[in-house]
Amino acid sequence: MTATSAPTPTGARRGSWSLRELVLVVVLGVVFGFAYWALVQGWNGLSIAMGPAGDLAQHLLLGGWLLAAPLAVAIVRRPGAGVLAEVLASVVEVVFLGSPVGPLLVVSALLQGVGSELPFALTRYRRFGWATFALSGLCGAGLVFFFSAFRAGWYGQDLLLLRFGLQVASGLVLGGLLAKVLVDALARTGVVDNYAIGRDALRPGGR
Amino acid sequence: MTATTVPAVDGTGTGAATAPWRRDVTPSVLARRNPTVKLVLLTVVSAAVLLVLDPVTPLVLYALALVGVAAAARVPARTLLVAHGPLLAFAGGVLVVNAVSRPGPVVWSGPGLEVTAPGLSVGTALAARSLLIGVLALGFVRSTDGPTLLASLQADARLPARPAHALLAGYRLLEEMPRTWAQVRHAHAVRAPRRRGGRPALGVRAHGRMVFGLLVSSLRTGERLAATLEQRGLGLGPRTVWRPVRRDRGDVVLALVVLGTLAAVLLVSARLGLLAGPGALTG
Repeated sequence: MTATSAPTPTGARRGSWSLRELVLVVVLGVVFGFAYWALVQGWNGLSIAMGPAGDLAQHLLLGGWLLAAPLAVAIVRRPGAGVLAEVLASVVEVVFLGSPVGPLLVVSALLQGVGSELPFALTRYRRFGWATFALSGLCGAGLVFFFSAFRAGWYGQDLLLLRFGLQVASGLVLGGLLAKVLVDALARTGVVDNYAIGRDALRPGGR
Repeated sequence: MTATTVPAVDGTGTGAATAPWRRDVTPSVLARRNPTVKLVLLTVVSAAVLLVLDPVTPLVLYALALVGVAAAARVPARTLLVAHGPLLAFAGGVLVVNAVSRPGPVVWSGPGLEVTAPGLSVGTALAARSLLIGVLALGFVRSTDGPTLLASLQADARLPARPAHALLAGYRLLEEMPRTWAQVRHAHAVRAPRRRGGRPALGVRAHGRMVFGLLVSSLRTGERLAATLEQRGLGLGPRTVWRPVRRDRGDVVLALVVLGTLAAVLLVSARLGLLAGPGALTG
């Protein structure tokens, strides 16, 4: 935590994760897991009221499930942060909160994480602008769609394209742009100053 | 480890004390089994039924799982019923959407809607599958507590110490979260504008701010937890544990019973010509 004579500003050992960073990633998973749990409680009533449309409404909310990954990447700025955040969040949901989706949620989370992290990886974890976040949400929602479609049997339905469109749009807005808003707001509060995002902001020309 | 029951902070809260993960694990046959073995079995069954798309096989498996969970994990009938609320809502939605959105011979047509035979069949299969996995997941969480699971994952599944301790810190936060949430909610309610009658008007934006407040306070707590763990040298490497989790013959029996039942149902279903795979989606 104290600034030692480490040669790089992003940590002495680039490869290994500190416990602090791991806990941050888990905390993101836990908070979003809890928020989703609360959301689902309220949403169940709504989905019953909406009848069959409730099944479609899940695509509109999907982007929210992607948030943990771009947040973790933007704060920790390490390769694999997004994937790890999503996977840990899904582990929390499955083994602690007892998600009725079951252990295959971890596979979905892995795909979401890979999709969400891809655009950041392509910029070599250096650009964290609106476009990168938007692309992140888009890829996260798009990649997982094909697995979800198999798991939930959407192939062969008339609605397949509509579902894809809704999901990708949701990913863009909730999983991408909202993540950017949240990251900026978190940076302003100062809680993430001790992580890579805070260190980079101190460097000349850093954001 | 028994969870100490933290009293609800308020009498009016939205079930601060009824969060599903705040539970005592009832002593039962399933609770004595190795958590890693249970998790692996749950994963195997979930993955296997992914490939089953006829209506009868998953329904039979669901019925067996329901009886098995109720008996082996001693889940009370009331808990099972309550848990079925959201499960049935989800399964019902899946069934209806599939019934009306798949091409095929029409069995019933209403205003603007056509229910097809393949739609009904695939919809029932998917609905029964989500009920099956939901009931098994319920049996798992009702018979397993977090710390024991993580001790078992370290011993049996070689989970490295650092992620294990990070997950434990997360588990601790999760335990406290209903209380933190109640605090944040009260703080916002005090400052919120009033509706007629004096109740605080907390809209969608206010709820967004509340979730953000929860996020910030949890990140702070998490950083403190991590610093404390590091100071005590926890999470640096493998450690001995107070109560090692065992694997014994009972776990072998459990695996044999679960996998044997799954295989038997699939075999009988295939013999009777009922079993159908993912081809049912497009065929």
